[in-house]
Amino acid sequence: MLDVRNLNVWYGVTEVVRDVSFSVPTGSIVALMGGNGAGKTTILNTLSGLLKPRGGELALDGESIKDRHPHDIVVRGLVQVPQGRHVWPGMTVRDNLDLGAVTRKDKDGIRADIEEAFALFPILAERRDQRASSLSGGEQQMLAICRALMAKPRMLLMDEPSAGLSPRIVQEMVAAIRRLHERGLTILLVEQNVGVAGALADTAYVLANGEIAFSTDGAELATNPDVLRSYLGR
Amino acid sequence: MLPFLLTSGITTGALYAMVAIGLVLVYRSTGHINFSHGELFMLGGFFAYTFHVTVGLNYVVAMLLAVIGSFFVGVASDRIVYRPLIKAPGLSMVLATVGFSFLMKGIGRFFWGGKGEYLSIKPIVDPAPLWIAGIPILPQQLIVLAGALACMIMFTIFFRSTLAGKMMQATAENPRAAYLVGIKVEQVYTYTWGAGAAVAGAAAVLMAPLTLLSPDVGFTLLLKAFAATILGGLGSMVGAVVGGFIVGITEALAGGYIATSLQEVSSFIIIMVVLVFRPSGLFGVYGIRRA
Ligand SMILES: Nc1ncnc2c1ncn2[C@@H]1O[C@H](COP(=O)(O)OP(=O)(O)O)[C@@H](O)[C@H]1O
Ligand SMILES: [Mg+2]
Repeated sequence: MLDVRNLNVWYGVTEVVRDVSFSVPTGSIVALMGGNGAGKTTILNTLSGLLKPRGGELALDGESIKDRHPHDIVVRGLVQVPQGRHVWPGMTVRDNLDLGAVTRKDKDGIRADIEEAFALFPILAERRDQRASSLSGGEQQMLAICRALMAKPRMLLMDEPSAGLSPRIVQEMVAAIRRLHERGLTILLVEQNVGVAGALADTAYVLANGEIAFSTDGAELATNPDVLRSYLGR
Repeated sequence: MLPFLLTSGITTGALYAMVAIGLVLVYRSTGHINFSHGELFMLGGFFAYTFHVTVGLNYVVAMLLAVIGSFFVGVASDRIVYRPLIKAPGLSMVLATVGFSFLMKGIGRFFWGGKGEYLSIKPIVDPAPLWIAGIPILPQQLIVLAGALACMIMFTIFFRSTLAGKMMQATAENPRAAYLVGIKVEQVYTYTWGAGAAVAGAAAVLMAPLTLLSPDVGFTLLLKAFAATILGGLGSMVGAVVGGFIVGITEALAGGYIATSLQEVSSFIIIMVVLVFRPSGLFGVYGIRRA
């Protein structure tokens, strides 16, 4: 269970996230939605320890993760798949995956998890010795997801995994995320695509100007996506 | 005359190559050019001088101590210069490393300068030249050459095949992604600055018996090594070594056949020509970061 209480984040003199509270129950998929610049990425980066919050509490399974080094947060099982993928372009698929496991020591487990990643996205197995820069956008997204899985997370933070992908690849991505969820991962999913969020999420929060403007459960999300669309301004 | 020019060109080339290796190492991991790198070389040389000549330690022991000392100066430069500026824009780092170079030059002058002359270390091996195919070669030249090649091979293997090397490369390519997988990025930087300084120290130790030490050697040497890295392709280890040799040989030939004054400016000319015609250098994979 991830618990975010009264989170405040500033960039210099600008308040970007204002008094945001929500929680992600263990075993669920929670969507965090909102237009460009709403503050979604800022929240994920604060959870990952890249940014220091000005105020509020962040707790993972009852233990505070506020002001921790990103390394400690990964070790505690909270791992981010960043917006725009951020794979290492000059390194091979295999190296990208190996580096995803730097916090681990169990060599056999790591080897097994690489095979599991290749089973999830077989195309990566074919490309294992290619540089990440030679992969398509969809393949880079798959690699970014698998790299995060290599850390053996309990919970994934996914930042717009469907952005910039063709509809067919988006469907593949939705199916993959569902499989990860079935394997027991808890997921906080940042999305702008109402279809993707509706297909996956148990609960959705809509962020506008750094504040939670609206929240809904998955059933409503699936049956009445227009409510969300109006909040997202499209 | 050609054989003489070539052997001296190759020797200085090996020196430039080693200094360039340190530059590339730091660049690959931090994405920054360390403008105080030449001064690390200078301090390494003076450490060797102090341990060997002043204290009178055995040459090999003095060498090792000098390299270790340089490593710690590198670590200190990380703590003093880099760590506080880790999130600052690139230009701040440039200015900070330039500033740190002045600090180290001042330290060099304070402890080892002002003696009215340059300091020198006697060659450890027999100074008599070996005649190979009619060309006189100093044994120390061969040692420098072997040292440069050994460093190059070691670091290439390090980056290609060890997890620590890959962590450094990953940190350089995308620090945010490095943080997100749990790499202790600050530690990677510390070791990198230390290792870069240690190679500079090693180059100084190998080279000291062939040249004279002065607190002001740093900047000239940095320029030469910088020309070598630009020529080889910023970020390429092999490129730095090949570039080092080309700069060394070009300099020797230009000085010998055209005019001595050209020797000093030839590295500038190389930098300009490369930047205009082939900005990615001979082995460039990263290209040049435009601020
Ligand atoms: N590094 C930064 N410095 C200053 N402002 C930023 C920075 N990153 C993002 N912002 C601003 O913070 C707000 C929220 O950004 P972000 O969290 O990236 O939004 P989202 O992910 O929802 O699109 C935006 O107004 C953006 O311009
Ligand atoms: Mg975003």
